Amino acid sequence: MNGDLTMSISRREFTRIGCRVIIGAAAGTAIIESIVKNSLASEDKKGEYDWNEHYWGFVVDTTKCIGCGRCANACKLENHVPFDEHLYRTWVERYRVLKKEEVKIDSPNGGIDGFTNDIPKEDIKKAFYVPKLCNHCDHPPCVQVCPVGATYLTEDGVVLIDYDYCIGCRYCIQGCPYGARYFLAEETPHHKPHSVLGGGVADKCTWCYHRITKGLLPACVQACPAGARIFGDLKDPDSAVNKILDKERINVLKPDLGTRPKAYYIGLDREVR
Amino acid sequence: MQPHIKRAFTLLAIAIIVFIVIRSLVVPDSFGQYGWYRGDSVVDNRNFPVEYAGSASCGEENCHKTLYSIWEDSRHKTVNCETCHGPSEKHVSNVRIMPQPANESRDFCGLCHFRQTARPEDFSQIDPETHGQNLRCAYCHNPHKPWFV
Amino acid sequence: MTEGLIWGYVYPNEAEVQWSILIVLYPYITGLVAGAFIASSLYHVFGKKEIKPVARFALLTALAFLLVATMPLVAHLGHPERGVQIMFTPHLTSAMSGFGYIYSFYLIVVVLEIWLSFREDIVKKALSSRGLKELLYSGLALFSYDISERALHEDEKLARRLAIIGIPSAAFLHGYVGFIFGGIKANPWWSTPLMPIIFLMSAIVSGIALLILLYIVAMKIRRHAIDHSCLYSLAQYLWVFLIFDVVLELLEVVSMKYESLEEIEIINILLSEKIATTFYGVQLTLGIFVPFVLLLLVGIMKNHDTLKTIMIAVSSTLVVIGVFAMRWNVVIGGQEISKSLSGTLTYVPVFFGMEGVLPAVVIFTIPFIILLVLTYILPPWKDMEEATE
Repeated sequence: MNGDLTMSISRREFTRIGCRVIIGAAAGTAIIESIVKNSLASEDKKGEYDWNEHYWGFVVDTTKCIGCGRCANACKLENHVPFDEHLYRTWVERYRVLKKEEVKIDSPNGGIDGFTNDIPKEDIKKAFYVPKLCNHCDHPPCVQVCPVGATYLTEDGVVLIDYDYCIGCRYCIQGCPYGARYFLAEETPHHKPHSVLGGGVADKCTWCYHRITKGLLPACVQACPAGARIFGDLKDPDSAVNKILDKERINVLKPDLGTRPKAYYIGLDREVR
Repeated sequence: MQPHIKRAFTLLAIAIIVFIVIRSLVVPDSFGQYGWYRGDSVVDNRNFPVEYAGSASCGEENCHKTLYSIWEDSRHKTVNCETCHGPSEKHVSNVRIMPQPANESRDFCGLCHFRQTARPEDFSQIDPETHGQNLRCAYCHNPHKPWFV
Repeated sequence: MTEGLIWGYVYPNEAEVQWSILIVLYPYITGLVAGAFIASSLYHVFGKKEIKPVARFALLTALAFLLVATMPLVAHLGHPERGVQIMFTPHLTSAMSGFGYIYSFYLIVVVLEIWLSFREDIVKKALSSRGLKELLYSGLALFSYDISERALHEDEKLARRLAIIGIPSAAFLHGYVGFIFGGIKANPWWSTPLMPIIFLMSAIVSGIALLILLYIVAMKIRRHAIDHSCLYSLAQYLWVFLIFDVVLELLEVVSMKYESLEEIEIINILLSEKIATTFYGVQLTLGIFVPFVLLLLVGIMKNHDTLKTIMIAVSSTLVVIGVFAMRWNVVIGGQEISKSLSGTLTYVPVFFGMEGVLPAVVIFTIPFIILLVLTYILPPWKDMEEATE
């Protein structure tokens, strides 16, 4: 199943597995297994990053977004998301409220190639951009519906995917109200060292977990020239994110669904869903 | 209980025990370490390669120090090096690996600066039809320290 | 490539429909299982003697379809080889995680139920045959040949108990499939507490209809007279469950339209443009109202057995098609509206490929082949035919 079986098993490991089989067969209870597992956990290599010290949050200031799409572009490059497929960890939406009470929403190629002026200015009442990404909800419906535990909320508040464990049922894609998840059909170099067969798994924004745990900013935040994306630690009272949350009036997307997103928005319009 | 029923239930019991044995062999060790997931997956996610090095690393070690200090004081200081020059972590760790050359086309500058109705009005924008006679932007404007002609 | 199929605004990641025709097939097949089992329970638990001719045949039908119920699911997975993790580490907050265990439990109940009801035949065959056949039947009898009156009586008692457990587990197996959709708050077309019970009712309806069709076909092939009292009785149950089914299905749509929440605009577009034909036309009119009227006439009419049989056969065919349309409208319909509530997309089924129409057709023919093999090993004809002899 997982490659573990094909590995050569050392004698000590063999004894350990043997013991566990006997215990498991005799009792079959989760309690005993959890004891075994906890003893294994103590051997775990802990890096310098302590996830108990952080709780990440994201602010999107839609009033500053200029719709250049550099965020979506940088995201694809950083995370090796195929450019030739309609898959986006983050994307920019354009809302144009027309004078005849009609709303035009678009996001051609996620905004990566920019936007075209296909509606004359005179017909437009107001217009603005809204960048979107995974909200890393505190009550993530995607995690709730995963049947095997292949996606989870970490201690530092990020929703991640286990690419080696995902069975590719796509229930999480159905469960996400924000369209943040997609199905990665093909293997990408990014996942290669970790995936047995590659591809065939769900994927989404991780707030660049591999960067933020090294003290870097997410690629989209770093790429944004307008300061429309702000990332920071909710546990740090002086963080960039907390400074905004303390002062501005903010909202989240689809608050009525009770997902408790941690991507907060400034300047949300009623048309934005 | 009838013997045939006893046999049927024994078979069932054996099947369940076999299942438990296989389960204990196959479920990864780190599963359940922190929650209902494979604990090692967190490490996997942390170990993905970084592609964007960040502007600070461009100004370090006297590599692009002059250009960096010009950019640092310019109106373009919010635009990070790699936003135009592309991801350069590989270049930072090995100078022989060159990043993609920066896109110098009008359309690339236009991603930010062509007039768009949806763009905040106070942001610097031009009408590509009337402005600059189709010249490359860099003909007049220094991208590292833009000014108005 | 998909541009022409999109209207309005859909989230960029929604450009592709994730759950294809295979996932339409899955609730359809489990529905047939649940329905066939409940039909057999009418005899085994509630003692409806007129159902007896098809009671054991219904169990075999349930098993045949149950054995393939997992196929469309596994074929659809991005990593079929990891599918078994759903049993090793079921994440209990997920409606889907129960699948492995509920399915296995139900499979055990159905297999035991079949074994107990056929045991007398199995033992007799084991004792009267030689060679490989003897080995097969002896194995099936678990090398225990006690068919004394007392033993058979005990068997019957246990079978009845199993059938009593079987009804709620059949209801659970299918109700939970409904909850997989009904529990998704992200999708306004799916998210309703009525979904499990709608699924259950349509499951029972489709199962009984399928059983009627298979019974008629089996009797035609065997050139044997149809037991009309059994057929009319099944038709009557079909009619009653159709009423429950249509009430619930209409209640869902009516309450959505009456409450007119934020999503009503996109739901209206879905109903009037995207799935109008399959919903109003096939699911409601052909799948429910026409059979409802035909079966009503069957109930009223006297004599004319041949005509009534034809009417029942037509009704059952329509019901089986209508329920498939219902599954389609739920699974595909729900994905044809964007979660942005401001756009729709169109699912175009491919023919070949892992998730195409061809594998779906292949998977759907397998249960009929399994049923053929099962009826060869464990012939249920004795009680299907003795009543009219």
